[in-house]
Amino acid sequence: MRFARYIARRLLLLPVQLLLVSLIVFFLVRQMPGEPTFLYTGPFATKERVEEVRRQLGLDQPIHVQYVRYIERVIRGDFGMSLRTSQPVMTDVRQRLPATMELIGYAVVFSVLIGVPLGVYTAIRKRGIINRAVFLYGMMAGALPDFWFALIAIFVFFFHLGLLPGPIGRIDLMVSTPETITGMYTVDALLTANWAAFFSSASHLFLPVLTLVFIYMPLVLKNARSAMEDMLGSEFVVYARAAGLPRLMQWRYALRNAMPPIITVTGILAWFLLGGAVLVETVFAWGGLGQYAVQSVVNSDYAALQGVVLLSAVFTMLVFLVVDLAYFVVDPRIK
Amino acid sequence: MSEAVQVPSPASGGIAAAAPIPRAGGLHTFARFVGQRPAFLTGLAIVGITVFLAAVGPYIGPYPTETALPGDTLQPPSWRHPFGTDVSNMDIFSRVIAAPRIDLTIALVSTFIAFVFGVLLGVISGFFGGERGLARYASEGIMRAADIVQAFPVFIFALALVGFRGPGAINVIAALAFLNIPFFLRITRGAVLQVRERPFIEAARCAGNSEWRIAFFHVLPNALTPPVANISPTIGFSILLTSGLSFVGAGVPVPTPEWGSMIAIGAPNMMTGQWWTALFPGIALGISILGYALVGDGLKEFLDPTKRV
Repeated sequence: MRFARYIARRLLLLPVQLLLVSLIVFFLVRQMPGEPTFLYTGPFATKERVEEVRRQLGLDQPIHVQYVRYIERVIRGDFGMSLRTSQPVMTDVRQRLPATMELIGYAVVFSVLIGVPLGVYTAIRKRGIINRAVFLYGMMAGALPDFWFALIAIFVFFFHLGLLPGPIGRIDLMVSTPETITGMYTVDALLTANWAAFFSSASHLFLPVLTLVFIYMPLVLKNARSAMEDMLGSEFVVYARAAGLPRLMQWRYALRNAMPPIITVTGILAWFLLGGAVLVETVFAWGGLGQYAVQSVVNSDYAALQGVVLLSAVFTMLVFLVVDLAYFVVDPRIK
Repeated sequence: MSEAVQVPSPASGGIAAAAPIPRAGGLHTFARFVGQRPAFLTGLAIVGITVFLAAVGPYIGPYPTETALPGDTLQPPSWRHPFGTDVSNMDIFSRVIAAPRIDLTIALVSTFIAFVFGVLLGVISGFFGGERGLARYASEGIMRAADIVQAFPVFIFALALVGFRGPGAINVIAALAFLNIPFFLRITRGAVLQVRERPFIEAARCAGNSEWRIAFFHVLPNALTPPVANISPTIGFSILLTSGLSFVGAGVPVPTPEWGSMIAIGAPNMMTGQWWTALFPGIALGISILGYALVGDGLKEFLDPTKRV
């Protein structure tokens, strides 16, 4: 019962948060220097023409009216037209979102699959070469720029060893893209049993995912280790040990109770990766939302930038909502 | 490096109250503490080198840092050019050691601004949280605003802030400062919530001090340890963000020597085998960030007496 009420409260809070976020984005756009109509009219427009465009854009209205109109448009999913692609921003985003989700999705999955076992292992075995190596790696990876690591990986695996494709996007030029179902190439290729497309897109995914996992996995690793350490030292595990339960069972008890912080950090990881993906996508010419954001900044495509920023905040809120809900699943005591 | 030494010095009496550092010979204690920790010492050395290079780096390199040399395109590392040359004939070594000037300045200034605003807002929101009236609304409002700012993925928000204002060092500083305020705010608030329950605050109140005076003259100095310990890692993080912004062309404009933009210049060459173009600026960047993180870890340990033996 309280669970349902909690979810209802969280869901009700979402639109409020979104409204505040949109307010920030709205005022951000008004930070831009110069006359916004300039982008539409060019430098040689007459005064009348400028006035006309101002009216069309609603810029002659008072600011609160402008905000209300902006909100009305956003609710309808209308983020305006991109100056660069001459398409509605929403259409651009819909085309690019699957590419980013595919990248982040694999990065999250592999970070958890590698980071959690390593974290648990280093919490249990406090000595030894693996522990030392993991410690050094964690310290180093946190200091390395992801875009630089991506370039080094390209040099080694593409130029030097010739094992993997270069940074030319998500799939080989010679391979036709799989039929669009989810928009994620590997998933669509599997669903349509298109093996050529699957192997091509998987090989293109390898380096960007490797980069993201290498740089961001320590976040999961360190948190899994400290959560596990806390639990191993907690009273119920000490009791289990005193009662003579087998080692494996003690560890299982500890891990089960270490899950909530691990889930939280997985959410934080997804949030981080959305930002990190911007740079890695740029390096690999990935054609996802991150690259779209960069291109819109470089080309002063404000409508596109505004849309991406707002959607990235929506993404963040949804991720943290899912994290909060996942708590209930792993910890029945939260009721 | 000087500020790293001053931090735990007994002159700032507030820290001494939170962490009982002996009044006499604070510097001596610090030196001995550093001597026992090679990682901390390494970090301090790296920080020292970056500060030194920020001061004189642009003048000590063997070649000019913003002008092309005739005829030395994409030379591999040699005695003439220790780190090689890039596609526009510039000497990479000279540019790598000149880059801390801009990178460190941006990071230091933005972190300082974020620290000042974050600590002030943190004291207000922590000290007046749960009170009645206007102060309570101020406290709540500050926290909700911080929530909203932190709802955006960090790099995308930085990109947007710079994107809407245009590239350039000043706008990068403004963006980074703005982004880091909630971070210092939360850390300070956490410390304030603990300090305000301590008996000497009660005593200050009994002595007839006004609430504002208690907040800023009694609570604030004693809640400074956590935010101060986080200055150094924040500087490292800001360097990383600055280089990322410059890498995509939204930070410091070329040809100013800056590690991120140098990596961007070298990026196309990495695919054709000229590894030195992006390798060296990246190593310099990684080592610097590592150094600031190590100093942060060391200071945290030094300022937290429970972790010291």
